[in-house]
Amino acid sequence: MAHAPETAHHSDAAHGAHGGGHDEHPEHIGHDYTTTGLNHRKMLMWVFLGSDCLFFGSLIATYMVYRGQSLQGPYPIDIIDIPITTISTFVLLCSSFAMVRALAATNENNQTGIKVWLLATAILGAIFIGFQVYEFNLFKNEGLTLGQNLFGATFFTLTGFHGAHVTLGIIWLLALFIISFKGRLHPGTALDVEICGLYWHFVDIVWIVIFTLLYLVGGFDAGPAVPGH
Amino acid sequence: MSSDDLKRPALRRFRPRRLVFFGLVAALFLLTAACSQGYQSTWDPIGPVAEKQLQLFNVLLWTMVAVFVLVEGALLYIVIRYRRRPGQPRPPQIHGHTALEVTWTIVPTALILGLGIWSVFTLFELDQPPTDQGDILEVTVVGHQWYFEFEYPDADGNGKRVTTANELKIPVDRPVSFTLESDDVLHSFWVPKLGGKVDVVPTRQNTLWLMADSDQIDQPLPATYYGQCAELCGIAHAQMRFRVTVMSEEDYQDWVRDYSPPSALTPVSQQGQTLFAIHCSLCHSIDGPELESVAQARLDQFLTGAENAAVPGPNLTDLRTRGTLAAGITDLTVENLRAWIKNPEEIKPGNYMYSNALLYDEGGDATLSDTEIDAIIEYLLNLR
Amino acid sequence: MAAITEVLPRPTYGATGLWSWITTVDHKRIGVMYGATALVFMLLSGIEAGLIRMQLATPDTDILGPGRYNQMFTMHATVMIFMVIMPMGVAFFNFVVPLAIGARDVAFPRLNALSYWIFLFGSILMHFSFIVNQVPDAGWFSYANLTEQPFSPNMGLDFWAIGLLILGTSSVAGGLNFVVTIINLRAPGMSLMRMPVFVWMTLLTSILLILAMPVITVGLIELVMDRNFGTHFFIPGGGGDPILWQHLFWVFGHPEVYILILPPMGIVSEILPTFSKKPLFGYPFVIFSGIVIAIMGWAVWSHHMFTVGLGPIANSVFTITTMLIAVPTGVKIFNWLATMWKGSIEFTTAMLYALGFIFLFIIGGLSGVSHAVSPSDFQQQDTYYIVAHLHYVLFGGSIMGIFAGIYYWWPKLTGRLLNEKLGKLNFWLIFIGMNVTFFPMHFVGMNGMPRRIYTYSSEFGWGDLNMLASVGYLILFVGFLVFLYNIIQNRNARRVSHDPWDAPGVEWSIASPPPAYNFAELPRIKGRDHYWIVKDEAREAGNPITEPEPAVDPSTIHMPSPSYWPIIIAAGVGLIGGGLLSHYGVSFLGGLIAFIGVIGWANEPPAAEEH
Repeated sequence: MAHAPETAHHSDAAHGAHGGGHDEHPEHIGHDYTTTGLNHRKMLMWVFLGSDCLFFGSLIATYMVYRGQSLQGPYPIDIIDIPITTISTFVLLCSSFAMVRALAATNENNQTGIKVWLLATAILGAIFIGFQVYEFNLFKNEGLTLGQNLFGATFFTLTGFHGAHVTLGIIWLLALFIISFKGRLHPGTALDVEICGLYWHFVDIVWIVIFTLLYLVGGFDAGPAVPGH
Repeated sequence: MSSDDLKRPALRRFRPRRLVFFGLVAALFLLTAACSQGYQSTWDPIGPVAEKQLQLFNVLLWTMVAVFVLVEGALLYIVIRYRRRPGQPRPPQIHGHTALEVTWTIVPTALILGLGIWSVFTLFELDQPPTDQGDILEVTVVGHQWYFEFEYPDADGNGKRVTTANELKIPVDRPVSFTLESDDVLHSFWVPKLGGKVDVVPTRQNTLWLMADSDQIDQPLPATYYGQCAELCGIAHAQMRFRVTVMSEEDYQDWVRDYSPPSALTPVSQQGQTLFAIHCSLCHSIDGPELESVAQARLDQFLTGAENAAVPGPNLTDLRTRGTLAAGITDLTVENLRAWIKNPEEIKPGNYMYSNALLYDEGGDATLSDTEIDAIIEYLLNLR
Repeated sequence: MAAITEVLPRPTYGATGLWSWITTVDHKRIGVMYGATALVFMLLSGIEAGLIRMQLATPDTDILGPGRYNQMFTMHATVMIFMVIMPMGVAFFNFVVPLAIGARDVAFPRLNALSYWIFLFGSILMHFSFIVNQVPDAGWFSYANLTEQPFSPNMGLDFWAIGLLILGTSSVAGGLNFVVTIINLRAPGMSLMRMPVFVWMTLLTSILLILAMPVITVGLIELVMDRNFGTHFFIPGGGGDPILWQHLFWVFGHPEVYILILPPMGIVSEILPTFSKKPLFGYPFVIFSGIVIAIMGWAVWSHHMFTVGLGPIANSVFTITTMLIAVPTGVKIFNWLATMWKGSIEFTTAMLYALGFIFLFIIGGLSGVSHAVSPSDFQQQDTYYIVAHLHYVLFGGSIMGIFAGIYYWWPKLTGRLLNEKLGKLNFWLIFIGMNVTFFPMHFVGMNGMPRRIYTYSSEFGWGDLNMLASVGYLILFVGFLVFLYNIIQNRNARRVSHDPWDAPGVEWSIASPPPAYNFAELPRIKGRDHYWIVKDEAREAGNPITEPEPAVDPSTIHMPSPSYWPIIIAAGVGLIGGGLLSHYGVSFLGGLIAFIGVIGWANEPPAAEEH
């Protein structure tokens, strides 16, 4: 999968006319010329997220198709713990808030703010991952593994790939955090933070869908009989 | 200077005759091939299902032929009529014509919706077997790698249960309702002259009905027709064939009545029965009561752990009534059966009998002696 | 981190030789690499097809045996689709699109190089299966649950699935790149409705790629997990449903069919006006029908599954949607015919291929209607009738379109004209060979021959037509060799001007071969057939154009410098895949290399340092 959004990071686009005697041309096309006026990398991220929607869509579809089809326990109702996951969901939502603050700080050239909020976003993301590790461990101890039943297979695959996306985002945030010490984040490079933010918010939104479907809706599924839906 | 370079040689080299030649060749194929009516030809239906499907196909075919002639004709006409001529001025620069666009959107849409609605009617019509054409015979088809097993839960209308393989026997002029199940992977059950295929899917019980119509059958009963698995199912997919024998109702009832295990009368066939129990019975079943000694031999095999290698093999209860061997790939004769038992791999590469049965050495022939093999054959074919 | 870029500084611009190709980010070179690689795979896959035809030429043949035969048809299809037609399309995207929209490169040149290298390593990885003799053998759509461990115990399908996952990464990266390029890098004046049809089809194909690939990715991931990590996604014994694989595969697979056919449709839409000396008839309708096809392509996937037992209601719905998708396709064909109507048609090889495309695609489209109708399809599904249909669409359509494109843009690529005499021989051999090979298959199929059987008995009466098809293959193969010879002898071929066809596209206004920077000054697009308008205006001014845009000193134009990182990251990705097939340590190493590559990539200066 093309899950390496870094590829978009710092990409050197072949900008429009750049040189080639543009100086004498009266209406020369500027360095950052794009047809639509949108930045390439930002557009790339948007299109990539569209692609990723289909990726998560297919994983979620697999989960929904196999809801209630497990031949043996543990079933969701046996182990899904909604309160705990509500907390981790809240943490992830807070990280989105921190991400917004980080971008604002970049635009204001608030160097301390950039570092604080980027780190805060990464830490909140890491806490979310910590919750997930805890949950996976707990489920494993309760007997839910990939091979145990379809619930295990679909649950771990879907949330696992989401976790991988969050982890990638954390690495990205930390990379931004590191380069912020070199003073490379400022209003002129705010796009770097913004694109990371787009990715981060997307991953958050996906989690909200997952939380709704796997926990709030599917969390009470029991035994082989398909519950009334 | 640019385009003139190519214009003249290109013109000279274009020969419409080639297209005419090609058209003739194509027509020749059409004639020769359409006339060939093989054992699995869908042009030659013997039942209402295949016939309706062929009717629909024919209508589509001739509609498409008409469209083909019109459109390809227009293409050829345009290409020939408007080929470049020396000194030709630039043609008129036409950018489009909305009314024309609307026309050639709406006309095909109407044509296609008409055909589509008709095909939907056919689809629903063929979905369920007719209830006014005599008793419906129920048959469960179980797909295995690589043979079809046929179970008749109520073969004679009095609850007699019959299990056979590779050769389906059905009475003429009675709808047969199939329930399709798979024991392992996907297969597809297809008797082209009786009707279209339906996939055999594990986790599902697909249904299909077929009927052999005496008015359309072109040979004396019992008549044999060919079927084949149509979904890739592994290494011996090409050799997962079967036969359908269409019988008169009486012959069919006789077959059901006579369906019974081999009656082991001679001493040789009794020996064969025991050998069968030892070497074959973990995979192949034979219906009916079993001698205690045979049951013991089977149990001994079971206890050695040989059942780990067991996969279901064709039910051999009525092997003597069949015409073919190894899922319809060779005729059932004593010689062929002997060759098959000796080295099935040579006849049907990849089959589980050779790879799983313990009586075959690594890469070698059967460890049974010829006499032993003959005893098994005598038992199975109920020879005397 | 910056230390990485000190160890491996950005390579200098303008180098020649092998390294300049390995590090190139020039869209034209990447296009050539895609095309050359695809041609090699085409030869390979064509030989596989030859073995298939050899095995089937006569009844009861035992040349390959069932195991090898299953491998051959699996690899033939997988390679033709994922390593020939798709990359050929991408080769044209790369070479043509930036030139046709008046850009100097794609939006993300390094990402473009990365796509190519990932494609190459993924393809090579899948072909490693031949070296370890564990070749995929479950068909190109590899229906579960035949693909699961108990039935396919060797690693062939792991090679298949992981190879396709890697190729999918490449396709998505390429798709993203071209969407952004086309939306965002058009020269001033190139509005959407002035874009060449080929560029439009590239845009639609790219959108289909980025939306369809994730679906098969999920399917493949689930398959790999089933085979290696004990899940039961498609295993009935564990509650899984093998039909889910079919849904995931065909939700991808049907848009994939349009991914394969839309670019050649675009190519043909460029060639017909050029050699008819008339603008494309009904441009907005051709574009709109392409959009409709791209949208409706998502609503027809179950027509591949009519016999699965989805029930009459589902089958009815998909029958109707599938039949309706013929309408926009027909609209395209009618517009092509109208384009030539009253034209001044010149029979160059490129034009012959374009005409061949239309002729054969009509046949493929019409036979498609007969199995869009589910009751009729029950007899045709999984028979040679389908094989005939799909080859008329993918060979008669896609491959003919690709050959048309090669002959059309070759002078732009090399500055030389491929030998037209050989080209026409090449065309007629392939055209006749193609029909002799695939036309009889319609009848063999209707006579009841299922696809994917390695042998058949003489009593079925399929022998003659199969022999005919095999003879046709030989004609085809000779035709392909003529083509290869034609390319190879290109060094001696005649030089031609920058605009040998008097074409309307922007790409013909610059020198052949184009300079690295493409356009010294970005063109201002005057209309749909830009270069025709420019030439007309010049002619009216009494000043006909005979020379391309004058060259400038390349050093005055800032172009992205070559980079080592794309091939390094791609090697890492390839090793991750290879490790999944051998030892996880290798995957870890690959991950590390890719990670270092990403860091190096991110820290790479925009241009090589001056020395």
